[in-house]
Amino acid sequence: MLTVLALPLALLAMQQQAIADRLAGRVSPDIAALVDELGTAAAARGLPVDPLIQKAIEGSAKGIPAERVAAAVRLVAMQLDTAAGALRHSGLAADTVAVAAGAFAITAGLNGRDIAQLARSGAQASEIIVGLRVAGTLVALGVPRAETVMLVNATLQSGRPAGELLALPGQVQAAMAKGAAPAQAAAGLARAAAAQARRGPPPGHGRPAHPPPPPHP
Amino acid sequence: MSQRVFHPLVKLLLDGDITLADLPAELRREGEEAMRLLGAVDRRPVKLPEMSQRVMQAIAQRHERSTWRRLLEPREIRVRFRPWLVAPALAAAAALVIWLGRPEPVATPAGAVVTVRFVLSAPDAREVTVAGTFNQWDSHATPLVRTGATDLWTATITLPAGQHQYAFVVDGVRWVHDPAAPAVDDGFGRRNSVLTL
Repeated sequence: MLTVLALPLALLAMQQQAIADRLAGRVSPDIAALVDELGTAAAARGLPVDPLIQKAIEGSAKGIPAERVAAAVRLVAMQLDTAAGALRHSGLAADTVAVAAGAFAITAGLNGRDIAQLARSGAQASEIIVGLRVAGTLVALGVPRAETVMLVNATLQSGRPAGELLALPGQVQAAMAKGAAPAQAAAGLARAAAAQARRGPPPGHGRPAHPPPPPHP
Repeated sequence: MSQRVFHPLVKLLLDGDITLADLPAELRREGEEAMRLLGAVDRRPVKLPEMSQRVMQAIAQRHERSTWRRLLEPREIRVRFRPWLVAPALAAAAALVIWLGRPEPVATPAGAVVTVRFVLSAPDAREVTVAGTFNQWDSHATPLVRTGATDLWTATITLPAGQHQYAFVVDGVRWVHDPAAPAVDDGFGRRNSVLTL
C-alpha cells in the first residue's frame, strides 16, 4: 500500500526536479515557481510540460517583463488543455506530441473544432501530428482556417505519403510567389488532393484505404 | 590444280560490279573467258552426309555439356563497338538511373535530423545569431556568419525532425523574425518564425 502511494509522489518529485533543472539560471524565481506549478499540474493531466518551459525561457531570453512572461505561460497551458480536449475523441489526448502539435496549431490561429476535425480524418496518429503542425504553418502563412482544414484533411484522406503534407507550406508559398492569394493557393491544392482521394493512392504508394470514423455528436 | 589470275577489272566483272561492255577492249576476251568459266561451275548443292552427320553430332554434344562446365569453360567473348548504339544505350542507362533515383516524397521519420540553412539579409549588422526552441532560446549558441562581402548572414545546422520556432538576434539586442518563413504570435507582441521538418 505504501508503495502504491510512494510511486506517484516519487514521479512527481522527479518531474518537479526536471523542470527546476531546465529553468535554473534562465528565468526569475517567480517564473520558475509558476512553471513548476503549471507544469506539475499539466503532467498530472497527461499534458506535455516542454511548451511551458520553452515559453518561460523564451520570454526571459527576450527580456520580457515577468508579468507578461507569466501571462504567456498561462496562455500556453490553456492552449494545451484546449488541444487535449479537441483530441480526446480521437484517442490522441494521451499523446503529448500530438497535444503539443495541437497547441501550436491553436497558437497559429486554429480552434479546438478545427483540431478535432483534423484528428477525425482517419489517418494514423503520426500523420495527424504532422497534419496539425502543417495546418498551423499554413495558417501562419495567411491561409484562412477553413481552407487550411480542407487542404490538410483532403491530403490526409488522399492516402498519399505523410511527406507530402510537409511539402504543402512550400507549395502554398510557391503559388503565393506567383501572385495567388493564400486562400486561392490552398483551395487549388485541396481540389487536387480531393481528386487524388477519389482515385486512391498510386500503386505502391500511401496507406490502405481507411475510412474516417463517424463524427462524434 | 592450276590457278588463273584475272585482271582486277575482270574480277569486278565476276563480282557483278561492272558489265562486259564496261571493260576496255583489250580485256574483253579475258572477261568473256572468265564468264565462261564461271558459267561452267556446277552450283547444285553438294550433299556431304558424313560431314553433316559429324557437324550435327558436335552440336548435340555441345548441348549435352553440363551447366557447370558451360559456366566454367573458358570462352572467347567478342565485343563489337557500334557507335550508332552508344547514344540509345546511354539514354537507356540515364533513364534507368533517373527512375531508380527519383525523389520519393517520404515523411521525415521521427528521430531523424534535417540540415537547415538560416539566411538573413542584415547589411548594417555587426553580429547575428539565431535562437529558438532547438537551442533553448540561447542567443549566443548559434551565430550566423557574413557570407563574403554580401549583406547575407548564414548558418547551417542540423535539427531534429518536428516543429521549431525561432528568431534572429541582431547585435545581441534586436529580435527579428525570418521574413522568408511563416510566423506566429510569440505571446509577447512579437513574431516567432516557424520551421516544420
